[in-house]
Amino acid sequence: MIGDNKFSIQHKEIEQVNCLYLRGYLDAHTAPVLESAINDIIGKGQNKILVNFGELDYISSAGLGVFMAFIEDVRDSGGDIKLADMKPKVFSVFDLLGFPVLFDIDKEEKISMEKFRKGDTSIKYIIKK
Amino acid sequence: MIRNKDKILNKEDLICAICDFSELHKIRNFIFSKALVFGFDENEANKITLAVDEACTNLIKHSFNFDKSKEFCVTVEPTSMKFIVKILDKGTPFNPLDVSETNMNEYFKDYRKGGLGIQIMRSVMDEITYNPSGIDNNENILTLTRYVIK
Repeated sequence: MIGDNKFSIQHKEIEQVNCLYLRGYLDAHTAPVLESAINDIIGKGQNKILVNFGELDYISSAGLGVFMAFIEDVRDSGGDIKLADMKPKVFSVFDLLGFPVLFDIDKEEKISMEKFRKGDTSIKYIIKK
Repeated sequence: MIRNKDKILNKEDLICAICDFSELHKIRNFIFSKALVFGFDENEANKITLAVDEACTNLIKHSFNFDKSKEFCVTVEPTSMKFIVKILDKGTPFNPLDVSETNMNEYFKDYRKGGLGIQIMRSVMDEITYNPSGIDNNENILTLTRYVIK
């Protein structure tokens, strides 16, 4: 946990999937950076987003809130935000509030990529209203 | 700013921060270190740290409206069976317990936004109490307690 307030995102487009590689600490201070990155992707009319948490060391509710802010619109447009490669301490925050019920969280990025390839976006994760 | 902070306890058990989100990591490092020294494992220390981060985030937002000229303090008061964290401030009272508990199934079903910090605090901590400033005290005090054995 000991760390600073640094956070960065690397963005790659792989097979029409927008991959965001998060690094550092995602809290109320840094969440706007992630919000802006996802906004940019959606603004370009793209809706397949894969977020790789491999280098992320911390997430608070401000980070969770960013995913909640976009998931409905992304899925309504036929896309998805898939989450992958979380360290156990980061997954435990998602798990604490039950986020795996709503979000597709994979152990490895390649699993998420394979789902996008197969066209498995959001159908099984939609909670019926 | 917190007038009686030196009376409360050793300065090693207290940290003060400016009301700015960029200060949150200092609070996190402080709480995590204290929780480890107290005897929690890393997993538990991470959860307690998260709960305190959420409380401070709410404080900066709701009690101080992001006013960077103000500050607040966080103390740790460990006892044999309890790890007690107090957050002291002189901002507008904001009692997180006034926010009703969230049914997470409903939350996800409705794709709601916000309010997750308080839910995290409730999930992680065993006791949460809030004493707004008044005649007897000139500070708001949010107390977050985690027992040794949950």
